[in-house]
Amino acid sequence: MSVIRVEAGYLPGLSSSDVQWRTLPFDRDGQRVEVAVPELSPSQMDALAKRVRDASARTLRTLSVSDIIDIIDRAVSRLLDRDDAYRRQIDALLPLVSGYAAEMVHLGLTGFFKTFRAPQLHRFVAEDFANPKVLDGFQPAIKGGAVRAFGPRLLVHSWAGNVPALALWSLVCGLLVKAGNIGKLPSAEPLFAGWFARLLVEVHPPLADCLAVVWWRGAGGEGADALYAQADAVVAYGGNEALQAIQRRLPVTTRFLAHGHKLGFGVVSAAALDALKAPALARRAAWDVMRYDQQGCYSPQIFYVQRGGQIAPREFAGYLASELANLQRRYPRRPLDLAESTAVAKWRQSIEWKPSTPHRQGREDLLIGDPVAAWSVAYTDDMQALAPTALQRSIVVAGIDALDDVAPAVAASAVFLQTAGIAATPRELYRLAEQLGAAGVTRVSAIGSMSAPEAGWHHDGRFNLLDLVRMTEIEHSAEAAADPFAPYEL
Amino acid sequence: MNYVEPPVADILEFIAQEGCTDAQFDQLALRLFAYQYHASASYRSFCQRRGATVRNVKSWDDIPAVPIDAFKAMELRCEPPTPTERVFMTSGTTRADMRGRHFHPRLDVYNLSMTRNFAQRFMQGVERMPMGILFPDDIAMPNSSLAHYLALAKTTFGTDDSCYFMSPTGIDLQGLWQRLAQAERSGEPYALLGASYSFVHVIDALRKAGRSFRLPAGSRILDTGGYKGQSRELPLEAFYLALSELLGVPRDLCINMYGMTELSTQFYDDGNAVVPSVKSGPHWIRSRLVDPATGRTVPAGERGILAHCDLGNFNSVNTILTEDVGEPAEGGFLLLGRAEGAQAKGCSLAVEEFIRSVAP
Repeated sequence: MSVIRVEAGYLPGLSSSDVQWRTLPFDRDGQRVEVAVPELSPSQMDALAKRVRDASARTLRTLSVSDIIDIIDRAVSRLLDRDDAYRRQIDALLPLVSGYAAEMVHLGLTGFFKTFRAPQLHRFVAEDFANPKVLDGFQPAIKGGAVRAFGPRLLVHSWAGNVPALALWSLVCGLLVKAGNIGKLPSAEPLFAGWFARLLVEVHPPLADCLAVVWWRGAGGEGADALYAQADAVVAYGGNEALQAIQRRLPVTTRFLAHGHKLGFGVVSAAALDALKAPALARRAAWDVMRYDQQGCYSPQIFYVQRGGQIAPREFAGYLASELANLQRRYPRRPLDLAESTAVAKWRQSIEWKPSTPHRQGREDLLIGDPVAAWSVAYTDDMQALAPTALQRSIVVAGIDALDDVAPAVAASAVFLQTAGIAATPRELYRLAEQLGAAGVTRVSAIGSMSAPEAGWHHDGRFNLLDLVRMTEIEHSAEAAADPFAPYEL
Repeated sequence: MNYVEPPVADILEFIAQEGCTDAQFDQLALRLFAYQYHASASYRSFCQRRGATVRNVKSWDDIPAVPIDAFKAMELRCEPPTPTERVFMTSGTTRADMRGRHFHPRLDVYNLSMTRNFAQRFMQGVERMPMGILFPDDIAMPNSSLAHYLALAKTTFGTDDSCYFMSPTGIDLQGLWQRLAQAERSGEPYALLGASYSFVHVIDALRKAGRSFRLPAGSRILDTGGYKGQSRELPLEAFYLALSELLGVPRDLCINMYGMTELSTQFYDDGNAVVPSVKSGPHWIRSRLVDPATGRTVPAGERGILAHCDLGNFNSVNTILTEDVGEPAEGGFLLLGRAEGAQAKGCSLAVEEFIRSVAP
């Protein structure tokens, strides 16, 4: 077995030999990648936090938002260049570390990186700030006086997930509000964030001390405590229990922005189900299921499909199954470990061995797909509440009579709602969006785009940048009171 | 071939014989498979969904393994219910509302399987010995396969003074201490049998009382079933170390039995001097390690979920898929605990967390 060794993280002011390293091994197809991740002592972490915070105040804050967008754009254009050394490293190693098919990672990342080019970043800033210049200096306020937005001096990120390169979202947000950034690598994908930090510094060397990428095991010990103690704001991704554990160790004055695990779903109107449109729609739906094997917060768990169209919900489930079979050939599912495999088996069993109940005469539950296939489609004639499947390309199709039935079926999971993919007429779209929005959905997309949020989306319905900043206002009274003291006033 | 009657006579004969060849095992397994395939509609449709038919199943490891959850969802049986049948139920370790049920229209197969195997693996040539049992009897727990197993051990292999040390409030510790002291004095080997969690309570009580015993040479212990939330969780090493220190039974005579309500045959180790110990069964049960998602046998040497083909299971299904992780080992397999539900690695909610979040 050949072994590739990579040093992860980015630690300005510390040399490799100063730091303790731990090795995370990843084995795929006879190839081993050993990722060395840094474990900092509390005093090292403390010094790092000070360094990043002070350097950002000196360097990053003096750049305009447009300057910062330009720097990020230059870095991202290198990530989009398949011949660039960084991109080559990403394309070579992220599939090995994450287990996802190389083609899927390559395609997914290119689409993802495109949302971080300059025009998209300008739009991103404009989404949250009517006048983006408030990030650079005081701007006149409509009510009188002036206003300016300050980002946190130190923003700590706790990244999670084996959706590759996920760290880019919050890191870019932190940079745009000129925060000093220290992020904690997820053990499942400990590479991208460190590479991006180094790339940024290559593109614009003065940023060298403005960000750092660290690691700790599990919830972390004293090193993590030392870092959290200095954070002005914390952005964290993970399950609710993990998020709660982080929140518990933060001072009450630290702003905590949590992105918990979510459940996505799709709705297909009868209007979208004719012989021509239904197969194409199933192809796009399969794409959303396939992308990162449903590990994304936006990934669908169930498609509610309306009866009464030319194509019955049961047939739609069949189309979806054959599209998943097609995608498996081109983008094979990640190999499952025993625990994941058990979860998939148990989910399938729960459908296969569902106790028969007499009132269900004539209604059917059906598991489409061979157990050895790397995907499963479960079809049910019953209304089904939104609940997670076993992921790994396991999806439910539930036949429904009316689109109005969907909101009550998902409402119980309000706190877990985020993305709904909808295929319906414009009138139905707005009616559904109204109902689903009230139930807790924060993002409505086309089916096929569920797994690719557009640039400037409001993650979990929040303001990505506004939530990070603090506004400082010069009230009209201060301005008026200053006037008499001007030397030119007689 | 006769598919109407279960091949019970042949199974009894097979269990009674000394060992078997691969071909002999396959022959009886396939016969049992064919019988169950024809006798049970739900089993047949399960097999058909996996493309397994009497025609293309050629050896025991081609037989699809039925997940143990199926014992909860439906009545897996070949013979119609009778008033005299025994029903063993799972203890409902995970979901108390839904217990798996295993129907035994007759117990002669189960009993022969148990006694043949127990004589060899636990008694090891001793005909009878005094036994103490740390588990309710089968009158108190008529649906417990373990209660039946232990009662059978006591009546078949215990001397007349063998007894249960259970009171309505738990283990009768005073009675047990007296009996152990008597065994110490008499020098006659003693056997203590029970649920693993009962032994944890014994360990804790002995420690609390500052007592210990040195049972005579040849004394032995049989524990089974894990802790099931009935006692604190003790790592295997600490568990067997404590047993041998506090009761004076060497660890190679501390034997663990691995059994399941869904089976009619048990597995044993040859003591627990080293943990985890290698488990193995008699010639009428065979095990393979599978990938649970596909049901396929994993490549040689890899971990997998245990599937057992038990020729004693003549009325339910011959091959079951457990939820236990196994690893191949010389002469048997290592039992590595239950396969836990997968933790979400990404940002999508995993089932386990969802269930916890909606639980009251």
